[in-house]
Amino acid sequence: MKHSVNRPPTPDAAEDQGKEPTLQEIINVKLIESGEKERLMELLRERLIDCGWKDEMKALCRAHVKKKGRNNVTVDDLVHLITPKGRASVPDSVKAELLQRIRMFLMSAAL
Amino acid sequence: MSGPNEDNNTQLSSHIFGDLLDSIIVDVASECHRIAKLGLDRNLEEEEEEMRLSAQARARVADPSNSSETNTKYVVDIFGQTHPSVATEIFECMNCGRSIAAGRFAPHLEKCMGKGRKARLKVTRSSTAAQNRYSRGSPVSTYSPYSNSTSTNRLSNGTPSVAGEEYSNGTYEEPWNKT
Repeated sequence: MKHSVNRPPTPDAAEDQGKEPTLQEIINVKLIESGEKERLMELLRERLIDCGWKDEMKALCRAHVKKKGRNNVTVDDLVHLITPKGRASVPDSVKAELLQRIRMFLMSAAL
Repeated sequence: MSGPNEDNNTQLSSHIFGDLLDSIIVDVASECHRIAKLGLDRNLEEEEEEMRLSAQARARVADPSNSSETNTKYVVDIFGQTHPSVATEIFECMNCGRSIAAGRFAPHLEKCMGKGRKARLKVTRSSTAAQNRYSRGSPVSTYSPYSNSTSTNRLSNGTPSVAGEEYSNGTYEEPWNKT
């Protein structure tokens, strides 16, 4: 007998049993479809470059690469390296601006 | 806008902001990773290269077998140029007007201007015609041994020179000697 006979039921069956998309997922879809997510990303990127945040992160990465040797570094290493520092060092003004924009979007999305 | 909604909104906004930030962090990390792997960060390369070269240079200095090599003619200076041991640029002697190689200039000037008998006689010879008569008697007999010894000295060095020619015949030949 073929192995395919014993495979698990297709996901459609599972979804019908009440697995609703979360609020988060709905909003995410709306963000992407409206193009707002893209705009917000670009805005955040620009602000972070302007305030020198990106340069700080790049410097951290360079120092790590120099220490470990360029052939021993993975993207994962760098992500884990920058994430805590990166999250903590976003300037308050930048964060406030972005949060404001997001809130406006949420309200306009009429949820 | 009621209370709970506000909180929800705030929480949601923070969450969305966190998502955006994480994406950007991954982008930055990926970019740095790419630069590191492709060796595009010139500073990193230069420092590694310099450290390697300085280690090499230090090894070369410490190595005793190298000291003999550096004393031969083909020493290389910091610009990578080699110079011949006798300077070869040619100048005109301001005293006698001959073309002299720079490396042979000092000995030439000694003969030409100062210390030798020949030089002193040469000066007196060129100053007046009367004095010429007295000096001409002596040159032929007394010059030969003198010039022979110097010529052998010169030739034993093995370096070719313009000034050496004047002594090869054993006589002190000069244009104004032939009268």
